[in-house]
Amino acid sequence: MNDIVQIIRDVVSGVLMISGSILALLASLGLFRLATTRARMHATTKPATLGVLLCGVGAALQMASTSDVTKVVVIIVLQLVTAPIGAHMLSRAVGGK
Amino acid sequence: MTVVAYVSLSLLALAAVVGVVSIAKRSHLGDRAVAFDMLTSVVTCGLLVGAGVWQEVLNLDLAVVLGLLGFVASLTIARFVESQVEQE
Repeated sequence: MNDIVQIIRDVVSGVLMISGSILALLASLGLFRLATTRARMHATTKPATLGVLLCGVGAALQMASTSDVTKVVVIIVLQLVTAPIGAHMLSRAVGGK
Repeated sequence: MTVVAYVSLSLLALAAVVGVVSIAKRSHLGDRAVAFDMLTSVVTCGLLVGAGVWQEVLNLDLAVVLGLLGFVASLTIARFVESQVEQE
């Protein structure tokens, strides 16, 4: 029974980690391809935040102790709070470009 | 799990290479700040994957520091670009 739980946990966290990495790759391709600064910002902030979230949940599933899971939650919350603020400041700075 | 780590870390490495190339390609400082912001979150993803697969607990502290540092850096660059635009 324990083996089955471990296998399910491994599969779920592997799928989450790989999909987070694919999102990060898509964000960087959008950064490379799109024409204006605001379009690039749109392409990078959302997938990058979701990618960190998915990788974090995948890592938290593998953690043994509660304090490590708490650290992962802190990282995810930090990313969720700071990414919109940074993107807002940058978009105000670049203006209409 | 090691196979998952290799696949996911190689995808992230590809993303980081594309990010560095686009930092080098763009000329405007705001564009570079956007690319730098994305690069920070790619590195954070890599640290989290490493922490999950190999039980490297130190990586989590590094990811917290990196998140805060990237936030402060992009805010500083944004304020600088804004002040430059006002002076012109």
